[in-house]
Amino acid sequence: MYKAIRSETFTAWAFMAPGLLFLAVFTFWPIIYGIPLSLTDYSVIAETRYVGLDNFTRAFQDHNFLISLWNSLVYVLIVPVIQIIAILMAILVNSRIPGIKMFRAAYYIPVVTSMVAVALIWSWLLGNNGVVNYLLLKVGLLSEQVSWLSTSSTALYVLMFITMWKGLGYYMMLYLAGLQGIPADLYEAARVDGAGPLRLIVHVTLPLLRPHILFCTLISVMGAIRVFDEVYILTKGGPGTSTLTSSVYIFQKGLEQFNFGYASALGLIVSVLVGALSVLVFRLNRKGGVNSY
Amino acid sequence: MPRSLRYLITYILLILLALFMMGPFLWLLSVSLMPGRNVFANPPAILPTFIAFDNYVQVWNFMNFPRYIMNTVVITLLGVAFNIFLSCLTAYPLAAFRFKGRNLVFTLLISTMIIPSATAMIVHYLTIQAFHLGNTFLGVVLPAAVSVFNIFLMRQTFLGIPADIRDSGKMDGASELRIFIQLVMPLVKPGIAVIGLLEVMAFWNNFLWPIVVLDDPQKYPLAAALTYLNGQFSYNFGWIAAGTMISVLPIIIVFLFTQKYYMEGIAGAIKG
Repeated sequence: MYKAIRSETFTAWAFMAPGLLFLAVFTFWPIIYGIPLSLTDYSVIAETRYVGLDNFTRAFQDHNFLISLWNSLVYVLIVPVIQIIAILMAILVNSRIPGIKMFRAAYYIPVVTSMVAVALIWSWLLGNNGVVNYLLLKVGLLSEQVSWLSTSSTALYVLMFITMWKGLGYYMMLYLAGLQGIPADLYEAARVDGAGPLRLIVHVTLPLLRPHILFCTLISVMGAIRVFDEVYILTKGGPGTSTLTSSVYIFQKGLEQFNFGYASALGLIVSVLVGALSVLVFRLNRKGGVNSY
Repeated sequence: MPRSLRYLITYILLILLALFMMGPFLWLLSVSLMPGRNVFANPPAILPTFIAFDNYVQVWNFMNFPRYIMNTVVITLLGVAFNIFLSCLTAYPLAAFRFKGRNLVFTLLISTMIIPSATAMIVHYLTIQAFHLGNTFLGVVLPAAVSVFNIFLMRQTFLGIPADIRDSGKMDGASELRIFIQLVMPLVKPGIAVIGLLEVMAFWNNFLWPIVVLDDPQKYPLAAALTYLNGQFSYNFGWIAAGTMISVLPIIIVFLFTQKYYMEGIAGAIKG
């Protein structure tokens, strides 16, 4: 028996070895190596020196970094909006009517398309003489053209809108899966007790979707903090620093200006922040004591 | 409320939402089919007044699309093959074996999901340079060769396989590797299809990492080439629209044909 378990251990590790090797190099190593790297001034141009916590003190005095952190936190504001709209969408596409699969697929297409394509389309739609301004002027919601992506006060919110638009389908599918796992007799029982459609949603649907809401909130918080592609393609952080998010700033410092040491320190600070936020989301969702099923 | 009225309201909502989600793509299609039109004309061109494929022909001839498509296909196939191979091998013992260190591996894997590494890309860059894989497709693929997410997804699939199968293989004297390849793997084809699809989408759409690793724009995959096209010909809207359509159509077609598996996979992921 003992021998059997030992040989099983060996076989198991042999199976996992290639995968773990890759994970070690490309998942664990970046986390580990980021720490010593952040204590140096490593760059490609000069000799590397150990600088202690200098990068960290510098980070907290770096005005642009603090702005980028703030912008990333503002970006998290879209998370609750996504959840609400995605749940409503999921309830809508959960109807059993002819052609519903076609609609589900249509809503999912932005998810599978590349962010490059999505960003390009929206940059055109949102241009000064673009379709969005044209339509909004026509129905009277705007009195003059707005340069959505080059106005400091709107750019960040427009990017948040694009992130949301592209991601809605994904969250919709996760919530739809949750909805389909809710037993129909729960609704029947509530209806017998005289609950209307709204009360069904509040008292049956939402409580049972709780694990899905937790999961979706977590991944969208992380997504919002790490947001990169749409910002990088559309505004590169501008105008000024109005859309400078933390990952864009880290990328600029690291892979555009080759300040690897400083960028690593910034990355560590953001990682700690994301970790803390995730714990917070977990805590908030645990309250109320609804068990996942 | 009568049933027909409820249907009517539902359909109206569904169609409005479809316009919101699909409208931008349909408009891009419309722009791509109108040669010589400016998307910023006043009033902007929204519906095609005529349909011609000139933009497609011209941008195809100009951009060397076959090459970019080839690059994208090679990168995508490599990435998918690595991911399927590595995540199956890694997930199988986690689901089927009892062994020392199993909890350790599990904790390690989970911890990478909670601690995101914003610095990963910088270290990846240094690693790829150290391996002398800069400017190669392998350099593009390796950092994403296996993901914790895929391992969890495959573990979930392997858990659904009865233990009897492995036992019966052992009775017949088959080695663990043979049991895995001949008995177990054929049973997890749906799971493999799911991670395959997820990775097809991810690699097909990836643009940033390829730009970082590849010095030679001739090696760019489609999404990266598209940013290049957009920078060079920002005035030639029809070309860019046609180029964008060419790059997104394959992935949309793949999705439409495989959406059943794909959506089941997304749904299954959350239970993992």
